[in-house]
Amino acid sequence: MDTESGDHHPNHNYKRWAARYPELGTGPVAVEPCISPSFFELERDRIFRRSWLSVGNESEIPDAGDYFVKEIAVCKASILVIRGHDGVVRAFHNVCSHRSNTLVANPRGKCRGYLTCNFHSWGYDIAGNLRSVPDERNFFDLDKRAHGLTPVAAEIWNGFIFINLDPREDLRTNLGGVAERLHGGGFDQLRLARRYTIDERANWKVAIDAQNESYHVVYQHRYLMPNLFTTDDRGCLRLSEVTFYDRHSMYACDINPSFRPSPLESALMQLEVAGAGAQRDQYRFPMRNPFEFFLIFPNLAMIFFRGPTSDACITHSFWPIAVDRTLWEVRFYTAPPRNAAERISQDFMQVFNRVVFDEDASAHETVQAGLESGAKKHLILQDEEVTIRHFHRIVQDAMGSTENAVSE
Amino acid sequence: MQSVSSAKSVISPLGPFGDLEPFIRWDLATEPERMAARESSTLEEMRTFYDATILRLPAIVQYLNGFPSDRMPPEAQRLMNMALSLNEVSIAVERYRQPRVINGRERDRFFPARSSGDN
Repeated sequence: MDTESGDHHPNHNYKRWAARYPELGTGPVAVEPCISPSFFELERDRIFRRSWLSVGNESEIPDAGDYFVKEIAVCKASILVIRGHDGVVRAFHNVCSHRSNTLVANPRGKCRGYLTCNFHSWGYDIAGNLRSVPDERNFFDLDKRAHGLTPVAAEIWNGFIFINLDPREDLRTNLGGVAERLHGGGFDQLRLARRYTIDERANWKVAIDAQNESYHVVYQHRYLMPNLFTTDDRGCLRLSEVTFYDRHSMYACDINPSFRPSPLESALMQLEVAGAGAQRDQYRFPMRNPFEFFLIFPNLAMIFFRGPTSDACITHSFWPIAVDRTLWEVRFYTAPPRNAAERISQDFMQVFNRVVFDEDASAHETVQAGLESGAKKHLILQDEEVTIRHFHRIVQDAMGSTENAVSE
Repeated sequence: MQSVSSAKSVISPLGPFGDLEPFIRWDLATEPERMAARESSTLEEMRTFYDATILRLPAIVQYLNGFPSDRMPPEAQRLMNMALSLNEVSIAVERYRQPRVINGRERDRFFPARSSGDN
């Protein structure tokens, strides 16, 4: 039997993942990292300042001069991401070389000339070079070439833009098996269709844990998805795949054979299929399951859904603000809708998932409050929550050493 | 709004879908508006809108496919907005059987801090 992926266990099995991944153990997981302010302070450097962090997508800055600014509070950094005249996407600290004022105030826009600081009008071209200094002759030995914007490592994978304040390896090496698996397919057609940010009173890891399992779906989402994913003969979720790629993980679900779409879902699916004709497989990802959840350490979830005529992608980024506060950034990526049915279906998917996330978010804050009470010192995890176990192990590995720790 | 049945033809604000004019209040251009309308409507109001519109959905889609999506005449844009409202009310009519989400946070705390993409 294939050891890594795709083999489907009989649905009455249990404790399958512990048998396959015994190195992760089966015991309780400590709560302390989710509530400790000193742990949070260490995470800033040992995790976030040395990891590849996804800040956006190429489709957001298609043309020369297009930019966005990503505030990364956990790194105390403001990162300007801008496309140059040469088409290259670059990232810089959004800090003027003169006296460190914030250079770009708008969260996104298009620069048609120079980036100019509001304080003393120092001007930079869109490749980050310092080009104009008012009253330049009154400076002392000023070599403008030495005072461009401070660059930040930026690399792009499948259209997703990652930055790293202190890279130990390139992005592709870090992604490893994830990049190999998610190679090709419809990524070049994706564009950001919608984004929103939810300000939560919860630790970033609490929010990730809540998304990083589907055990909760039949209970918490019983009004929305009572019968969507495959279960055992007792109605309990059974994942179809769990695979680890060094620091990263993925899990997958199959569609329950007894799932019936709602009347509106059925109507939209039929209209999509009728409208797509021969193009119905034009926009597909390399999916092995109809629902796949990838956690790209430390804070990016990429979720892929198989649709009747195209596949969709939702990303979640969790930006820590404080030990008990996180910005949960939701982004919907789709290929451009080819007809009215797809346009309406894409909106349906976004509305439906908005409500799912509303339900998810309700648990983030209540869990955080419960953790902070000190009533319990541990999380008790079942077999289908193994990816939570792996994530907490990777966090501990990252915190416990000064080099990039690699878990087995 | 009333469409007048007379010898003179009156262009309905919904083009060939004058039968849906009783529901024209669901012509809402943005997601926050549609969500607010769901929360402030009764289940009965939404069910009536849902039942009438879902029957016409194939015809609506066919009609909308006749226009480029970035240059739709007002009638078509209204119908698109109403189809998007159908998505929103289906959450209540098909799932919760009540206007509000049951398991969610308080609306004014959940609804996204920043939202975009209401095109």
